[in-house]
Amino acid sequence: MRRTLRLYRRLLGAHLRAALQYEADFWIMIAAAAMTQAVGVVFLGAIFAKIPHLNGWTFWEVVTVYAMVSLGEGVGSLFFEGSWRLARRINQGELDYLLVRPYPVALQVMGSDVGLNGAGNILVGGVLLGLGVAHSRVDWSAGTVLLGVVLLISAIVIRTAISLGTNSGSFWIAGPFSVFGYALHQVGDLARYPITIYALGVRLVIGVVVPFAFASFFPVAVLLDRGDAAKLGLLTPVVAVYCVVVARWVFHRGLRRYESAGN
Amino acid sequence: MKKYMTLAKMQARAVLAYRLNFVLSLFALMFQLFAMLAIWGVLLGSGQNLNGFDWAHMKAYLLVGFLCGALVSQSADWRMAGRIQDGMVAIDLTKPVDYQKAQFATVVGGAWTEVVTALAVCAGVIAWTGAVPTPGWQGAALFALSLLAVLPLKFLIVYVSALACFYTQNYLGVHWARLVIVSLFSGALVPLSFFPEWVQQLAAVLPFASMSATPALIWIGQLRGAQALLMIAAQFGWVVALWLAARLIFRHAIKRVTIHGG
Repeated sequence: MRRTLRLYRRLLGAHLRAALQYEADFWIMIAAAAMTQAVGVVFLGAIFAKIPHLNGWTFWEVVTVYAMVSLGEGVGSLFFEGSWRLARRINQGELDYLLVRPYPVALQVMGSDVGLNGAGNILVGGVLLGLGVAHSRVDWSAGTVLLGVVLLISAIVIRTAISLGTNSGSFWIAGPFSVFGYALHQVGDLARYPITIYALGVRLVIGVVVPFAFASFFPVAVLLDRGDAAKLGLLTPVVAVYCVVVARWVFHRGLRRYESAGN
Repeated sequence: MKKYMTLAKMQARAVLAYRLNFVLSLFALMFQLFAMLAIWGVLLGSGQNLNGFDWAHMKAYLLVGFLCGALVSQSADWRMAGRIQDGMVAIDLTKPVDYQKAQFATVVGGAWTEVVTALAVCAGVIAWTGAVPTPGWQGAALFALSLLAVLPLKFLIVYVSALACFYTQNYLGVHWARLVIVSLFSGALVPLSFFPEWVQQLAAVLPFASMSATPALIWIGQLRGAQALLMIAAQFGWVVALWLAARLIFRHAIKRVTIHGG
């Protein structure tokens, strides 16, 4: 376990140095990522200036849901960006190198790139999450703190597993771009808002089929004690385990189909 | 002129080869649109009116914003940036065409797919959520004129941001920075009248509102008559100003071109 973690850190370190070669763009990228998250909240603020709540959710409560996605995306970009390079690696036959190394292939894939924009997302997402929770009515106790930490970690695990699982679609869909992963990632952006605003079909897609809502809406509902959504939200850690199991299974099924490139 | 027409025609066919990339780039815009439609649907669905927008007018406003967003979204900038980054731009510079005009011709040639796809999405949204108000013939004429200005204007914003690649050597960060600035100040997702006074004043002196808010407000009838003409004049004014500014930037930027041996 310790060896696994140490090697993962080394792997990321190597890619971090590669990512730092374009210095000006690096700073612009972090600032742009942070701004993108912040502007989403500016939009919410502009809308909420005219109305008190959205389907019973106050401004800060919606910000909390939104921030969960920003934060989860940030962690995904900074530490697990490699998932998004999987399509290219399969297409170019580069997976060969990873297969012969004595280290879990899935982890090698996930650690094979660093998205520095993640730093901006984590910063803004973290601040927004703090502000959102502070301005929402939460019954704080040692229990809720512990629950909050478990929910946050589960949410991040869910997003990470979903991006590995959906990107593994590239084992079946040929091509250098991660079509399936990217398309579903955009669907996941719908989970930045309370999912009760959507039609039933959309809710089923982001709540059950690809459970993005368990990485944002449901955990927040638990913390705010929102009736049925809160009860479902208690399943978040279970959903996290389920996502990891499914993502691993899909990845390994896909790996068996991998047939390298001709040269 | 003829050589630029040829470039446009070439691109009009070439876009079909890259349709997957295009559809993917539209996906992000599409889901932003869906989320905003859902939010406004809840807020305005039961007959409310906020800042002069009821549900049908807000929907029309967002759909026009989507159409404008889809224009010039076909990674013309990535193509340019890639060639600047690997030095291939040197070859483009040796060709007996004006670089800026050639890039514009390419964008014009590819625009038809953007319009067709955006209209298909709009038709889908209307079929799903019901009709949107349409302007009278006068409004429609003003709208068409205004939309005509969006194409060169958006091209110029995209073009200038791609030129930044001469300085930063990488494009991803600049690309995102542009997207976020445009999405805020163009009023494509949330009408500018919803923002605090200072944001509105800032937006009024920037070119971005001309890229989306102006045609959208004309379509829903919030801008009409002389006022609409004034805003359209501002759009074309920006086109001229940015065209000249882009020339200046280009002249400075090509001094920084790095060509790798090989």
